[in-house]
Amino acid sequence: MLGTYFYHEILRKTVIGFGTLFNNINIRHKNDSGNAFSVLKVPLAYGPMQKFLARIQQQADLDRQTAITVPRISFEMTSLTYDSTRKTGITQTFTAKNNTKARKVYMPVPYNVGFELSIMSKLSDDGLQIVEQILPYFQPSFNITINLIDSIGEKKDVPIVLEGIDLSDDYQGGFESRRIIIHTLRFTAKTHLFGAIAESSEGLIKKVDVDMYADTDRKRAKRVQRYSATPKALKDYDSDNTTVVDGAISKAVTKIKLSATTDISTGERIIIDSEIMKVRTNDTATATLTVFRGYDSTAAAVHEHNATVNILGADDDAEIEFGDDFGFNESTSFFTDGKVYSPSQGIDV
Amino acid sequence: MALNPFFLQGSTAEQGLVQDLVNEQLRMYGIECHYIPRKLVTSASIMREVIESRFDEAFPLEAYMANTDGYDGNSDILTKFGVRSTDEATFIISRERFEQAISPFLKEDGEYTLSNRPKEGDLIFFPLGKRLFEIKFVEHEKPFYQLKKNYVYELQCELFEYEDEVIDTDVTAIDSTVQTDGYIARLVLSGIGATATASTGVVYNAVNRIFVQDDGYGYAAAPTISISTSPGTNATAVAIMTERSGIATGKSIDRILMINPGNQYTGIPTVTVPGTGIATAGITTLGSVGIVTITSGGSGYTTTPSVTFVGGVSGAAVTATAEAVMVGGTVRYIRLSNAGTGYTSVPTISIGAATTIGDGDYIFNEPVRFASSGETAMVKVWDAGSKTLDISMITAMQLQVGEKVTGETSGAEYIVKSVSYNQPNDFPNSEYVADQYNDNQTFQTEADDLLDFTEGNPFGTF
Repeated sequence: MLGTYFYHEILRKTVIGFGTLFNNINIRHKNDSGNAFSVLKVPLAYGPMQKFLARIQQQADLDRQTAITVPRISFEMTSLTYDSTRKTGITQTFTAKNNTKARKVYMPVPYNVGFELSIMSKLSDDGLQIVEQILPYFQPSFNITINLIDSIGEKKDVPIVLEGIDLSDDYQGGFESRRIIIHTLRFTAKTHLFGAIAESSEGLIKKVDVDMYADTDRKRAKRVQRYSATPKALKDYDSDNTTVVDGAISKAVTKIKLSATTDISTGERIIIDSEIMKVRTNDTATATLTVFRGYDSTAAAVHEHNATVNILGADDDAEIEFGDDFGFNESTSFFTDGKVYSPSQGIDV
Repeated sequence: MALNPFFLQGSTAEQGLVQDLVNEQLRMYGIECHYIPRKLVTSASIMREVIESRFDEAFPLEAYMANTDGYDGNSDILTKFGVRSTDEATFIISRERFEQAISPFLKEDGEYTLSNRPKEGDLIFFPLGKRLFEIKFVEHEKPFYQLKKNYVYELQCELFEYEDEVIDTDVTAIDSTVQTDGYIARLVLSGIGATATASTGVVYNAVNRIFVQDDGYGYAAAPTISISTSPGTNATAVAIMTERSGIATGKSIDRILMINPGNQYTGIPTVTVPGTGIATAGITTLGSVGIVTITSGGSGYTTTPSVTFVGGVSGAAVTATAEAVMVGGTVRYIRLSNAGTGYTSVPTISIGAATTIGDGDYIFNEPVRFASSGETAMVKVWDAGSKTLDISMITAMQLQVGEKVTGETSGAEYIVKSVSYNQPNDFPNSEYVADQYNDNQTFQTEADDLLDFTEGNPFGTF
């Protein structure tokens, strides 16, 4: 039942997002004159790690000469809890774009990730410097925006809530053991987990037919008229580079001279720079077109000599991609056959 | 009830004998450790802790290690803060030897708190394990008053926990224990001088040189040299002045150098020199060197470098000559003294190397000073091959690329080429091993691809 493989690395990304909040914390040591004599950047690492790797990396030299260097910040993921307060409809989906394809995505599942950030310091003043640089940002939450799934470009705000702070300073007792100061900050990151993401089976609707009837009695009424709409490209996709402009064109002229117009038909749309024009007449002898300027809501503009002229045709319409702006090619036809269209068979019956 | 007066229970002579025996035993069965006293430089009030400590002295002292089977403690453990060594040791030292061999020096120095006894917070260097132990507790009554006196101190120690203390005892084995520990910033340096570069072209029918026929006299400043125009590019030149002996006031023309030799002259141009000087131009129909453009002015020049033209000529040719004009350690212009003849292709311009004072080797633990930012730091590791300088104890994180960094002891000087405040996880020289507990940069790199920081990292700047 389960078993569709997916791994979006969302929890890992949440760990990275959480960790990067604390990767640039400095502390300063000042002398009696108030001048800093040492500025330290506090090292940060994710606590859990393979034991053998810890030994190899951190004790490459077996004769470790000191106990440990301080201060240090460490954090780890401590819990994963379903957050019912952020629950959305479980069957609700949305469509996201992945390059040229549509993706169908179920609404993500809200989960709270518990984090524990520990700060070890030698001096209590070091610990206070670190903690004081963190706390004001959390009231009690701080939002980070994580690109949880790159393939669908899904950026989510993940609030990181400061739940509590503990301070352990075991200064009491015998003198044989060292004083260890550890501040522990508990956080909850409110992230979202996504399930498997499939290519949308629905695909893109490339054509819409509307059959109209002259009567409301559906049993006896026969269809009379069909209205069809298909997407119409508003930019050139196939780079046909049909011809070029011969002499600069001002904004207002409707007669434009090209280097050749034999490949252009009356009624076709052409695009020069980003202005679309519709051809009214074509004088191939003088290579001059009479056009409607600023067609399809584009703005009439000045075009330089030798500007490329592309035809916007069916080839371009076919290449419209998911997410692009497009217009509509509309057509109307009348029926005399009395048939009806069967969507399941895709034919008139 | 008073003690029996017929029994001494320990005379001074007996006590001295026992102390001697103890000293002798320690010398036979002990280990030669170093006792490293702590100087408390800066302390914080209220919180009552020492912020700045220095360890400048190391006194050799024999000590008996009470834990003969090995270190006490839990050895090495993996904690959430990485691997921690919890080795513990107990050293027994002679009370008399401490008072004779160490106390007087501490007292004389005057900067040590407590000089009459070993104190908690001081360090013991154990040479066999190369470990640096910190004294946690000094037990002074064990064994308990033998013959009415105590003869030894028992020092209960744990491995030292390092932050940014300066350990500069001049004993290499000790100082190097923390050489790669603690916070380290990494600089990549470069030599101070950078050689200038320039380019030129080949021109025809250009002015190849300007002869000074009469150097004139009485010039307060260099006169403007005018050269008649060409159908192509006009030549331009500048006079270099000098003082002549026997002429009391003003200067004379020493030589005239060309800024641009021009081209396409059809006849010898007229050179007009205002005042008393007279000059004429020579012209060549063959190829000569054109205007010289500085591609990079270089840096660190302390004397005017030579300029030579290499290649580009064939047959009976005259090689072009030029002079550099230096402003503020960089080459600002190159003026042609002779544009040469017979050039068939563009020659290469060779400019003398900049003065390189970027040399020397920084010494571990020496202070370094930064010229522009005024910051100071301490040298941790210097790798001459890659010119990588690892420093600690920086006074602010405001080091500037391009500023000079000078070693106060070694006198080494280089220019900062790049600065990284992220603690390095390795060293260019494999002799040094880093404690790889530091993922600050890794988190940043990974997060750059994931996080939308259009609103800025709140902890990125302060």
